[in-house]
This record gives sequence, structure tokens and C-alpha cells, in this order.
Amino acid sequence: MRDREIDEILKQAAQAPHDVDPAVLDRVAGSIGSTLGPVRPLPPAWVLAGGLVLICVSVALAGAARLGLYGIQKLSVLETALVFPMLGVLICLAAMAFAGEMIPGSRRRVAPGFLLGAGSLALLAVFAVLFRDYRTERFVSQGVACLTAGLLHAVPAALASWLLLRRGFAVNSIAAAVAAGTLAGLAGVAMLELHCANFEAPHVMLWHTAVMPLCAAAGALLARAARR
Amino acid sequence: MQPDSDLEMLMSRYQRGDFAAATALIHRLSPQLHRFFVVQFASRGDADDLLQETWMRIHEVRHTYRAGEPVLPWFYAIARHIRVDHYRKARRTAAREERLEEMPEVAAVLPARSGGTPDLEALLAPLPQSQREVIEMLKVSGMSLEEVARATSSSVGSVKQKAHRAYETLRERLSGERRIKGRTGGAS
Repeated sequence: MRDREIDEILKQAAQAPHDVDPAVLDRVAGSIGSTLGPVRPLPPAWVLAGGLVLICVSVALAGAARLGLYGIQKLSVLETALVFPMLGVLICLAAMAFAGEMIPGSRRRVAPGFLLGAGSLALLAVFAVLFRDYRTERFVSQGVACLTAGLLHAVPAALASWLLLRRGFAVNSIAAAVAAGTLAGLAGVAMLELHCANFEAPHVMLWHTAVMPLCAAAGALLARAARR
Repeated sequence: MQPDSDLEMLMSRYQRGDFAAATALIHRLSPQLHRFFVVQFASRGDADDLLQETWMRIHEVRHTYRAGEPVLPWFYAIARHIRVDHYRKARRTAAREERLEEMPEVAAVLPARSGGTPDLEALLAPLPQSQREVIEMLKVSGMSLEEVARATSSSVGSVKQKAHRAYETLRERLSGERRIKGRTGGAS
């Protein structure tokens, strides 16, 4: 049997009339009519994504400026030229993914889960290439301090992002929360790269990178709890 | 199937608070949304409820539609969300197991409507839910691959793959049915 024959059978089946009880339609129209008023449509997705990028960059810059811009002062030109553009690209992708998840029927350029995985691997790869100091001095104490600072800066980024997209509607709340968490986590990572002057490879690769997946996981857990 | 520009215009008027446009949308899109639910194994009663719930949600979030974007993926994304939510709630209340038992067995020979037209629900019954919804959107609602991808939050490649797998299952099933019919015809 050929595809064309299957097409024909499906076409015939689809042409069969399918009526809905008129009483149901009247009920729907009645309910809608009672609360119908003009609404202001959401701005285009690129405007929302631009707003999200702005929020992330502002949080990262403000946080690092408050704590001290020690990291960026110590980074070489090559390190700066690789780390920050990479973070910029990831922030733009996460912002587009989050804005898309909040508008039903949007084109999905990249799945939030994939973005999280690929983004984490990309960060790890760049850090592994750039930082070759494998000492682990005060690994846990310094690491926990960085992780905490990163997570604390992700919170305002997440809140402001949510505020910007509060009028959106997530058809898949967990995917939207993963995208939001990834974005907020990236704000935390960007702040750490600007601020932290500890370039030991294990420190950067574990404690800095971990901010992003932890934020995404927290977002997914919150969304799951809210759905129940 | 409606021209998209016509639906877009109605949607814009609905966003501006035009009741006639809202009613026109309800009457034009409800049959295909209702069928979307029925094809997913919902009873007609359940489909009625899901349809009403979908329209209420559409009404709540009508501001999320942006002029110039395809209309059907927007409607179907919300309808799909309502169906998934309904399925999750049903499973949580433990009624799911009973429903599976109650689910109609797929008939050996596809039931046909009067006039020999195959019944769509029975035709798509052997397919997994994800493939069924893709075929319904592509072949019944007449959406493009890109529109189905938008409605299901997936990629065009993934939609193509699901449609291809669905066609393989349908081919196997319809060929088997032909053989049975041929044998029965030969015996009589």
C-alpha cells in the first residue's frame, strides 16, 4: 500500500462531518461574552527576549560591580574573548527559549533541556581549554562561596524575568521553568566570571558551571510543585 | 479548513473585544478541536468538557496571540495543554487504570461509517498518542509540518519522523485488513 492510498483513506475519513452539540457552543459563547473586553497583545518574541537579555546582563554587571570586578581584571584578552561571547550567546539562546516557551504555538528553535545540557558542556569545554591550573586549594570553602553567590544572583534575575513574562502562558510549565532557570543561572555564572579571580580549573569547572544546572533543576522542581 | 488570514483577522477582532468575531471563531474551530479530543480516545462527553475548558483558557490567554503568527498552532498548543492536563489529573485520581481497561479494543477490520467512509477514530486507534495527534493535525486540520511543530513544541524533523512511523503502522494495518477482506471475499 502506497502513501498516496493512505492519504486518500485519511482524507475520506477526515471529510466525514463532525458536529458539536450546539448547546455546548452556546454555553462557551455565553461564558466568553460575559467577560469579553479588549486586550493588549504581547509584544513580539524578540522584544521579550531582548528584555530578558538586558535583565541578565544588568544583574551580572551590578552584582559583580558590587562584589568587585576582580575576575575580569585578571583574565587575559584571549580568556575574555572566549568566555564572555560564549556566555552572551548562551544568554541570548536561553532568553529566546524562555520567551518562546511563554507564547503558545511559538517556533521552538532549541529545546530547553537540550540547551541546558549543551550549554553546560560548552562552558565546561571552554573552561577546560582556558584554565590549566589544577590545584585545589580551599576547594570546598571557596567553591561553596562562589556557588552561593552565583545562586543568590540568579534569584533576582529569575524574579525579574518572570515579572517581564508574567502575561505569557506556558503550555509546558516544566520546559518554561527549565529555560527560565538556565537563563537565571547564566546570569549567576556571568557574575562569577566577572567577579571571581580564582582560576583553578576544578574550581571554575565545578562551582561556577554548577550554578546553571542547579537553577534549572530548581525551576523544574518549582514548576512541578506548582502543577500539582 | 479555513484560510489562515481569515482566522487571523477574526482573532485580531476577538482581541479587540468583538463578540461576533469570538462567536465566529467558536463555531468555526470547535468541530476540529472537538475531533482532536475524540481522536485522543476521549468520549464525546469528555471531549465536550475539554472543548469548553479549552475555550475558557483561550479566552484567558487571548492576549498571547500575536498578529502575523499562524493561528492554528496557537489554538492547538492550548488544546494540547488542556488534554495533557486532563490526562494527568485523570491518572492522578487513579481512574486511568480503569480507563485503559475500558478502552475499546482495536477492531480487526476497521469500522466504516455509512457510505463506506472509514471511521477516523478507529483508523488512528492503533497509533501511539504522539503519532495520532500529529496525523490528526496534518491530515484533518490541514496544518503544515511547521505548524504542527509549533503546536507540539517540537522540531519539523521530529514531526516528520512521527508521521513516517504512523504511516508505517497504518500501512501494515490497512494491508492486513485488505488481505483479510480478500480472503473472506475469496471464500464466499
